[in-house]
Amino acid sequence: MAACAIDPSELNAEPMSNHALEQVVSATGQASTGTEPTTAVRLETVTHEYGSSGGHTGGDRVVTALQNVSMAVQLGEIVGLAGPSGSGKSTILHTVSGLLVPTDGSVELLGTDLTTLSDRRRTRLRRQHIGIVFQRFHLLPSLSARANVALPLVQAGVPTATRRERAETLLERVGLADRTGHLPGELSGGERQRVAIARALVTDPDVIVADEPTGELDTATGADVLDLLTDIGRNRAVLVASHDDATLSVADRVVELRDGQVSTDGR
Amino acid sequence: MSLRRAAIRTKAVVGLAFAQLRRSPGRTALTVLAVTLAVLSVTLLAGLGVGVVQTGEDGLENANRDIWISSDPIDPSASGTENPIVGSHGVSADITEREDISSASPIAMHDVYLGTDEDDLVRTSAVGVHETHDGFDFEAGSGFETEINASDGEHLEHQRASEPTSEEIVLDPNTAERLDVSVGETVYLGTSRETARDHEFTVVGIAAYYSQYLGSDAEAVPLTDLQAVAGTTRTDRATFITASVDDGSDPAVVRDDLSAAYPTYDVRTSDEQVSAMFEERPLVLASGATLVGLAFVGGIVLTINLFALVAYQQRDELAALRAIGLSRWVLAGTIGVQGFVIGLLGGLAGLAATPLLARGLNLLVSSVVGFDSLLQTPLEVYGIGLALALVVGTVVALATGWRAGRYARLEHLEG
Repeated sequence: MAACAIDPSELNAEPMSNHALEQVVSATGQASTGTEPTTAVRLETVTHEYGSSGGHTGGDRVVTALQNVSMAVQLGEIVGLAGPSGSGKSTILHTVSGLLVPTDGSVELLGTDLTTLSDRRRTRLRRQHIGIVFQRFHLLPSLSARANVALPLVQAGVPTATRRERAETLLERVGLADRTGHLPGELSGGERQRVAIARALVTDPDVIVADEPTGELDTATGADVLDLLTDIGRNRAVLVASHDDATLSVADRVVELRDGQVSTDGR
Repeated sequence: MSLRRAAIRTKAVVGLAFAQLRRSPGRTALTVLAVTLAVLSVTLLAGLGVGVVQTGEDGLENANRDIWISSDPIDPSASGTENPIVGSHGVSADITEREDISSASPIAMHDVYLGTDEDDLVRTSAVGVHETHDGFDFEAGSGFETEINASDGEHLEHQRASEPTSEEIVLDPNTAERLDVSVGETVYLGTSRETARDHEFTVVGIAAYYSQYLGSDAEAVPLTDLQAVAGTTRTDRATFITASVDDGSDPAVVRDDLSAAYPTYDVRTSDEQVSAMFEERPLVLASGATLVGLAFVGGIVLTINLFALVAYQQRDELAALRAIGLSRWVLAGTIGVQGFVIGLLGGLAGLAATPLLARGLNLLVSSVVGFDSLLQTPLEVYGIGLALALVVGTVVALATGWRAGRYARLEHLEG
């Protein structure tokens, strides 16, 4: 279980994180061996081409988004992904989240190779171990902040009362205790991103991926959100993709990407 | 435990679906309206298809005759000037003498000219019959009854006058309105403009009885009067001879006997007559079938398109839900529940509007082409309409939701 600042006993309605992962691993028997216990994410010679079998853009033109990318992120580490648009930052986040299966190579999440799992199992692993923070928040405008935060728990069949309780606890944690009933449209950009961070944390994930988390925010609000992200990132693996130097400055290490390849890995 | 989780998930899916519907009340209302239109297209088009076929059948069923004797071609609307059966009163009398026949009578049809002013006549159809009956459903006045009864053998030529004797007519309501005449007034009638001025008939009643299965305005006139006007008294021409069989007799057996006795005529039971008429009118059948087919296909295509759009409009939300770990089933369920709710509301609205619109369209059709109740909406038509809205709506919404879940990828989250 990730050692986040939230008391795990508050989230005990459903087995989460590593425990759930073990279930998947034992069910598939495909856990890789020799993986460091603290390695949360490992990419081995990952190549991804859009327009090929792994892509979905169609057409004859093949665009190589990633080429032989290898990198690892340890639990408790914040890794920044830097590089210009189209360099492959988002594609790495998507492969780590299991939202995309690369054309070649392996993507291990806590020792399990996501590329060998079915779509259903990847979705399950993502729900239990990954928290995603989007640049544009992607909150459901029809739901209150509390209901948005509680959404990932719906799939696990967590009862309504427990969902509400968890969501309120997390909203309090991100400083929005007085905004739980507000719709996203009634919140500022910074507040919406805080709701999105609370939603990413609701399943107590081991890995947080954030794609330009401050891209839509002004400098001061962005700094607050980064503080929050680094705070909750302790004892989790955090991957942050950004163009912004201020955002990348919170990272323990920055991996620079260019044309789908790692140009520098700031170890 | 898993059942409980499924129940919790289902409840959440329903809540999500309602939240999405509430989010854009205007869009939801428009979607419901679109389903209403799809249902209406099904109920009204199918109702029209049913009505087209039914109108022909009803005409014969209302006539309440078991046996129809005719001479091809069978096309009452076109053979009005033909009247191929010669000596029809004699044939009717001979047939009536049979033990298995309770009554038989000839029917003649002619195109005639009619009007209150001998210089301003309208062309219409006249049906010559011996008497009117309760089935005429008179809007005003009553019918006529001629003295000569073919069933009693009073059919010899000398018993029938070569000039009209009753001079009574039952007008179709449209004709009466067009001529601006009412019961008690007189009209000129003839088979040509020139002869019309020679014969004046008194309007005794107004009814659309024959119009309903001829498909055009038709007036009822005593048969012998019509023959006299048409100059066919001597040849005694008729279009049909209709007969009722005695209780206990099998119409099919009677048909076979009559067929053997009158080999030059076509003898049919009433069911066969319906089929024969439709064989002569493939266009009617084709139109009816096409309308029903169009109703189905059109309704389904409209519904599929609609819910594909509903899912498409929510692709960003679906992509986000998918990214945070909700399964495709939950996404499909969310869209599916929306489909069910929209289908239910749109379906009920469509069914509620169907009878009103059907009545309006029937009035329009009746005033333009003379068919009454051409658009018929039996319970089955309502059932089909609701099934389309609910079943197709829900299934298509589920399918498009499921599909949207697959394609709800990251490009929707990046932009």
